[in-house]
Amino acid sequence: MAGTLTPERTATRLCELSSDARAAVLLDAAGALAGSSDSDPERGRALGDLARELFETVDRATRDWDTEPAEQVEVQVPGGAAFASRTPRWTLAVVARRGALSSLMLYDLRAVLAELEGGPPIRVATPAKEAASRRASEEDAASESPVPELGRDADREET
Amino acid sequence: MKERRRGPIGRAADLAEGVAAAVRRMQREREPRVLVYDQTGYARLLQPEARGHERILEIGERMVQLAAGEDAGGGARGGGPEAGA
Repeated sequence: MAGTLTPERTATRLCELSSDARAAVLLDAAGALAGSSDSDPERGRALGDLARELFETVDRATRDWDTEPAEQVEVQVPGGAAFASRTPRWTLAVVARRGALSSLMLYDLRAVLAELEGGPPIRVATPAKEAASRRASEEDAASESPVPELGRDADREET
Repeated sequence: MKERRRGPIGRAADLAEGVAAAVRRMQREREPRVLVYDQTGYARLLQPEARGHERILEIGERMVQLAAGEDAGGGARGGGPEAGA
């Protein structure tokens, strides 16, 4: 189906959505690398191994907690931050720039995983400046808004 | 209730308190830390003395280093694990 997010594109999709994301990897349920945002396979594989080890270590560290296994992890270190989120089928990990908002990164991880699992696609809004820079045509105007533009009728009346 | 200071000295003191609080907050945010979230989004801090804390920070640092290398390399966006192989 057109527009469906594939595992191969998921990590790249996350980096496209978030300007704070530097690199991302997707692992399948077995912990194997399913997608990477980087074209260097060695680096992608190394990042995937670390992401898998991250959840393994967190699971060991929180084994005694009287809670459900962790769904998301955030690691803040001097040069940046690593975030990871998992579902029964997938694990998505991302490295973010220093100062990235945790809540936004965690939300993006959940949203992209939901899209991968067949949820609604994430809608990306067009910045107002970008939209304004496009050359306007009457067809565009007619298709975009049913509200008549102010000033246009006044021009017609004068002529 | 804390009595509100009035006058220019009071306002300057309030401002200084605000700046000091902001600096403290920024320092706290810069400290290495591990947060674990459950399904409801409830966050728990993994205490520094907890088992695995050091290793998790090492993993995080290694991931950040790898990504920094990626930025420096300017690698094109990839895809599956075989991409670029």
